[in-house]
Amino acid sequence: MRSTTDSTTEAAVQRPNIFKSLFPSVVSGIVLGVVAAAIAGVLINKITTAYSPDGVPNDDAVAAAVYIAWVIFFFVGIGTFNGVFKWAFARREPTPAEELQLAGKDQGLWRYFRFTTDHKVVGMQYLATVFVTFFLGSMGAFMIRLEQSRPGAIFFNPATYNTIVGMHGILMIASTIIMISGPFGNFILPIMIGARDMAFPRLNALSYWLLFTAIPIFLSTLFLGGFQTGWTGYAPLAVQGLTPGMDAYCFTILVFAISTTLAAVNIITTTMVMRTKGMTWGRLPIFVWGVVFSVILSLTAFPSFIITQIMVMMDRIFNTSFFLAASGGSNWMYQHLFWFMGHPEVYVIGLPALAVAAELSPVFTRKPLFGYRLMVASIVGISILSVIVWGHHLYVSGSENALTIPFMLDTELISIPTGIFFLVLVGTLWRGKIWLTVPMLFVCGVLVNFVIGGITGIYLADLPTDEILHGGMFVTAHFHFTLVGAGVFGFFAALYYWFPKMVGKRLDPLLGKLHFWLFEIGFVGTFTALFYAGLQGEPRWSANIAPPFATANLIASLFAILIAASVFTFVFNVIYTLVRGEVAVANEWGAKTLEWTVPTPVPLENFEELPVVTSLPYNYGSPVPEPVTPAAEIPGITQAPTLPQVED
Amino acid sequence: MSEANTEENAGSASTAPAEPRHLRRVVIIWAVLSVIVIAIWLAVAQFILPPAASSLNSAQNFTFLVLTVLSVPVALFVFVFLGYSLFAFRVRDRPTEDGVPLQPRPALQIGWLGITSLLCLFLFIWGTFAIYQETAAASTPNTLVVNVTAQQWQWTFDYPQYGATSQGAQVIELPVNRPVVFNVTSKDVLHGFNIRALGVRVDANPGYVVSTAVVTPTQTGSYVVQCVEICGLLHSYMWEAVNVVSADAFNSWITSQGGHV
Repeated sequence: MRSTTDSTTEAAVQRPNIFKSLFPSVVSGIVLGVVAAAIAGVLINKITTAYSPDGVPNDDAVAAAVYIAWVIFFFVGIGTFNGVFKWAFARREPTPAEELQLAGKDQGLWRYFRFTTDHKVVGMQYLATVFVTFFLGSMGAFMIRLEQSRPGAIFFNPATYNTIVGMHGILMIASTIIMISGPFGNFILPIMIGARDMAFPRLNALSYWLLFTAIPIFLSTLFLGGFQTGWTGYAPLAVQGLTPGMDAYCFTILVFAISTTLAAVNIITTTMVMRTKGMTWGRLPIFVWGVVFSVILSLTAFPSFIITQIMVMMDRIFNTSFFLAASGGSNWMYQHLFWFMGHPEVYVIGLPALAVAAELSPVFTRKPLFGYRLMVASIVGISILSVIVWGHHLYVSGSENALTIPFMLDTELISIPTGIFFLVLVGTLWRGKIWLTVPMLFVCGVLVNFVIGGITGIYLADLPTDEILHGGMFVTAHFHFTLVGAGVFGFFAALYYWFPKMVGKRLDPLLGKLHFWLFEIGFVGTFTALFYAGLQGEPRWSANIAPPFATANLIASLFAILIAASVFTFVFNVIYTLVRGEVAVANEWGAKTLEWTVPTPVPLENFEELPVVTSLPYNYGSPVPEPVTPAAEIPGITQAPTLPQVED
Repeated sequence: MSEANTEENAGSASTAPAEPRHLRRVVIIWAVLSVIVIAIWLAVAQFILPPAASSLNSAQNFTFLVLTVLSVPVALFVFVFLGYSLFAFRVRDRPTEDGVPLQPRPALQIGWLGITSLLCLFLFIWGTFAIYQETAAASTPNTLVVNVTAQQWQWTFDYPQYGATSQGAQVIELPVNRPVVFNVTSKDVLHGFNIRALGVRVDANPGYVVSTAVVTPTQTGSYVVQCVEICGLLHSYMWEAVNVVSADAFNSWITSQGGHV
């Protein structure tokens, strides 16, 4: 399908050809996907109508067929399977020239719109996608604050409001899951460990484009009547055959979870086998530890989510009854399966953000991380404990009275490794030379917000207080403090820190500071007010808030205006920087990790010669003088000229 | 990771130049602020915590009070150390020299783990004791039984001892100072049964009946029963008033609902 680009046909490669640049690319993928989806939809509509006793098509089956055809034929169109035909069936390895062509060599900006395997392209694709989904999700948040600013459902009707809440939830959860592991885990992590690419470059491209196909599926719910379940999608509410908008939710989760699982496999394998010489586990930057354990957790979590949504779709399409008590099912099963995914998942979001905070603080205090091994132990400890705490979401469900006490113990034990994180961060700041750049401001924001988020979690872990707070606004405020206050602030810290390396321009620091302060003040104000409302007993998901909670909600909505202002400040900053930002230098912050040793923009295979690592990258102010070879720009990292080339 | 310089325990005392005694200062600030904030919290807690209408809810509010007293020093530890560091150790421009390469000494690590573990243990024992107390309150013959059935989007309250049923009403009543237990179920999807002022909260599961703890309303007044689990379109309208009234008033209300005293 794709023209061969062997070196023997260089004459054909030189000629610009509109057909060749469009096919395969995202354009041909979308065209083929849409055509196939339309055909599948019409076909299944006819078939289900013909076989239905009352002559009505099965909407859910039609929706599922449309989505399946869209995903499969999008990938045919974008050329995912070309390699299978060309190499796997022909039983030969791709040549280096073919690999480079696939990695987007000499394709200019168009490589971002193709099935490109270069990890830096995939990282930038993730970053752009995260910007879009974050923006849409935050618009949902402001609509929620608008509706809740006054008692009574006056701005949106309850059906619209429930859909907005659900879409805000899924967009934000999906964005926060990929926001650090996607852009920075793909772009920065391989360079950080001294690799030329990810372990499975084509799998890497597949995981991104799966995410891409999930977005139109999810937005299609708007045209199919939306969904009423909130982001949790609890059955049996999800099984009630209200509108096919629910199928869009289920299928989005399916595609997204497969994408995330593939990305997780890739990141874990890359870190295990692609580390450069001397990059032992004990010298791994702490950011790599955070991302790796985050994706290990997502490997345990997401299969459960995939299974749950398949069961819901079977209940909807084939009238099975996994979750219907009347015919032998149980809604508790949905909750257990869901939270078996749901609780590790918040640490999937949290761990990379905490690792970013720990990675950045040595750079901006010019001193080593205060207890590298403690921090690793903290990450590992959180990961292990977080898979056995899901039951605290079912304290008051009536399903597991015998397990309440063990789950309470597990949940409270997590505060021990989390406490270590604070010890490490506070210790790193102590008596450093604190350089308060915009990334460092966001790290401080992570510290402040995560203390509040963590401590309010204690109230929800302890049964007596959970009984009055469960299912209320207090919970909402708590998890926004952890997911936004720690997670998204950590994402912005990473973004302001690595943006000069990824894009080659530095984000404007003055606008960055404005962004931070608007965000922090607006955020703390909004959710402190919601803590109060939740303590008074306001339930979640309320289109129509009761009068006793009106004042607190109005205050929250007013503070949310500051958050909206911060969003637009940030958008302006990115556009302004892309248009006329200052060009960044190769080592913008004087950091010692490997990604700052390569030039900006990063060349296709990252390193001319793979570096050899001799110590941790945090040896600031080290009393032990490091041996420095003249070739090395940075102490602790020497260039090894005799190292054999891996791929060329 | 053995040969890395993380091993080097530089020791804060040996390398410290003649500087103000930062650690002593920051600990004093932390301790003083903690005392002040705890005092403020104890003074204003009664205005922040909603009034309790049962002994169970009083206990829950008391737990909230205690947890907050414990939380204040923990949160302030991070806030004060962060604020002090930013105040005292900040450099105005790109730093030209490195910071002091501190590493945590074993005593600090063990102490930190010990303190967090003790806090954890306290929370666990406190919570376990509360669960024991709740389940220990058994039903007596005097206990009022209320069967609650949730459906989209209204509550049905059934008083089997009186043969009275209130479906989709704007208000139901409970007698003061008499133990009551709610047996909660659902007709269609998952709902959340919650009377905030009494401190009862349990899911309404389709196909299963789950009982709340036995709870005794101690204050007359008007409270709210509401759904706290999203249940579809009109979830946020699924609430009605619960009036806790005297025994006489309750008897006349239950008769008006078709019950027999």
